[in-house]
Amino acid sequence: MKKTMLAALTMSLFTLQAYAADTVKIALTGPFTGGSAPMGVSMRDGAKLAIDEINRAGGIQVGTQKMKIEVIERDDEAKNERGALIAQELASMNDLAGVIGTVNTGVCLAGDKYFQEKGITKIITPAAGSASMTQWSKAGVKDLSIFRFSADDGIQAAMVVEEAISRKLTKVAIIHDSTNYGVSGRDDLLNQIKLQGNKLQVVATEKFNIGDKDMTAQLLKAKLGGAQAILIWGIGPELAAVSNGMAKLSLKAPLIGGWTLSMSNFIDNAGKNGNGTLMPQTFIEDPITPKARNFIDSYHKAYGVDRIPSPMSAAEGYDAVYVFAAAVKQAKSTDTHKIKDALEDLREPVKGVIATWKQPYAKWDPANEQTHEAFRRNQVVMGMVQDGRVAFANKADRQRLMKGAGK
Amino acid sequence: MYTLLIVQLAVSGALMGMVYALIAYGFQLTFATSKSINFGQGELVMLSALFSLTLIDSGLPYWLVVPGGMLFGVILGLFVERAAVRLSLEQKGEGWILLTIILGLLGFSAAENIWGRDDRPFPTPIPSDPLHFFGIDVTPLELSVAIGVLTVMGLVELFKRKTLLGKAFEAVSADRDAAQLMGISATRTIQLSYGLSGLVAAMAGILVAPITTVGPTMASVLILKAFSVAVVAGLDSGFGVVLIGLFLGALESLTSFYLGSGWREAPGLVLLILALAVRPNGVFGKASIRKV
Repeated sequence: MKKTMLAALTMSLFTLQAYAADTVKIALTGPFTGGSAPMGVSMRDGAKLAIDEINRAGGIQVGTQKMKIEVIERDDEAKNERGALIAQELASMNDLAGVIGTVNTGVCLAGDKYFQEKGITKIITPAAGSASMTQWSKAGVKDLSIFRFSADDGIQAAMVVEEAISRKLTKVAIIHDSTNYGVSGRDDLLNQIKLQGNKLQVVATEKFNIGDKDMTAQLLKAKLGGAQAILIWGIGPELAAVSNGMAKLSLKAPLIGGWTLSMSNFIDNAGKNGNGTLMPQTFIEDPITPKARNFIDSYHKAYGVDRIPSPMSAAEGYDAVYVFAAAVKQAKSTDTHKIKDALEDLREPVKGVIATWKQPYAKWDPANEQTHEAFRRNQVVMGMVQDGRVAFANKADRQRLMKGAGK
Repeated sequence: MYTLLIVQLAVSGALMGMVYALIAYGFQLTFATSKSINFGQGELVMLSALFSLTLIDSGLPYWLVVPGGMLFGVILGLFVERAAVRLSLEQKGEGWILLTIILGLLGFSAAENIWGRDDRPFPTPIPSDPLHFFGIDVTPLELSVAIGVLTVMGLVELFKRKTLLGKAFEAVSADRDAAQLMGISATRTIQLSYGLSGLVAAMAGILVAPITTVGPTMASVLILKAFSVAVVAGLDSGFGVVLIGLFLGALESLTSFYLGSGWREAPGLVLLILALAVRPNGVFGKASIRKV
């Protein structure tokens, strides 16, 4: 009796190993609980949608055989220290093909070094803070296994400043949270204001902590300085507190900021006070192309919702998986180092829901982070909160994307 | 313009300070009768708010949600008394300190598992459009906090002074042994104080929820401030907590304006240190005379 059990156990151990060798192991990490959860959950669910589609079609063609994707999920709770622990755990796995995810810039800063040490390919999505890529160029790393698949804060800050200038505003206030994301966002904004010719005068630079609900003091400083717009960098619940505070103080200035203003916990908690808020977006939940309609419908159906908590994270997670899968196919291997090389020279265009990705990355050049950044300015549009959803702020963008898909 | 600004800051802060005062009042109620406090009071605030949110989600109208949430608070308060306080008081021990903290942690984990970790909006029929008084903006929501706090405290004080049970409460607060010799059950009275304390906590949760949103961590900052208020005012000062609450709230708001938003939490802690160093019984507290 004992012997047969032992035999069965060893057998199952062997089959398990055999099974593992037949799959492409991808880890999805991000905050699936807490204030950043709308982004983490949407990214994960969007990615899983793509993985399901690939697996249903038999898997990825790796050399001569088709391999299915196996998912490992880890919740980092948006906490830097948890992110570091998870990165160490994943980096110690020998058969991991790659990692997709991370929402919080601080988590990138805490954990990505473990992937880089082992040369494990990671696609950061949707964390946008500039620091998560500039840390590698500053360190002068020669060979980098970290890629990003999201509109970085540099692009976003540029768009926010452009928007304020194009509205002929001259005085703005910058309000940001005290996390790595908020502080690096503030620096990007100040930098962009300088780059775009110092046309904006910053009348107040104020910060708040995660969990703060009363923003009266910060907003009064902005109001007193005569700010015509509030440029903001933070995450959902606190952004909502700012928006509600502005309504209370009758501070009628547009709120323009990072893409986090599209998070459902901002939109829900701000209610009607959030209307008119502007933020850069890579994807808007508006079925303007057949591909977008298909993606939105299958997301709604698969997860039983009528609004994606963070459409942009979902779309980025979805496209990131297809880009990664294309790299696996081209590498003809599940070896993470070979996948990295393939990503740096992706020959076949990848049809995604945001865009068709032609050579999204190039060989890493420490002098130019853009080599490992997939998004360029023309893939990003301005979104605007309108009655509980994010819509295109400019009709022209909507037209352009519709036409682009028709070609 | 400048004075208006200061007044606006002070008023906004002070209205938040009313919530600190109400939670601090909950500390006082149990301290008066039993010389013990519930260190898990913040979790009572949070659990009651989450429970009320569930009531709202189930379609109950707001005017039924408020008493429902308060009843839930009372039950929680009674549970804390029975589970964590009673036995250790009977043994004249200090076990309640640890036990109330543990119950609080338990409540926190329970909330995370039942309701999830997300902050959620708390719908309320009270409008949030600002009203203007002499150039100062106040939302009806903030006013409702002030009115709610004063009403609850007023009613509890009235109960203590005008009813037989309330007089028993006062008697036990004044001298537990003497009251017991007069035939008043100290155990029952302490039970009552914990029930009232739970009610006050629930009310604080329901009042503040539309402003702060609801989630397991909603009370973690509030409770520290409330504790400062209770200690600075004196744990047996009655309405003293209102004055200190107003003062601390206004001070916080002004500090974050003039010293920078990073210093927001500082005044509460400085006040606490000052009070403990200069007036350990609180600004409005009576110096306790220990008879041997």
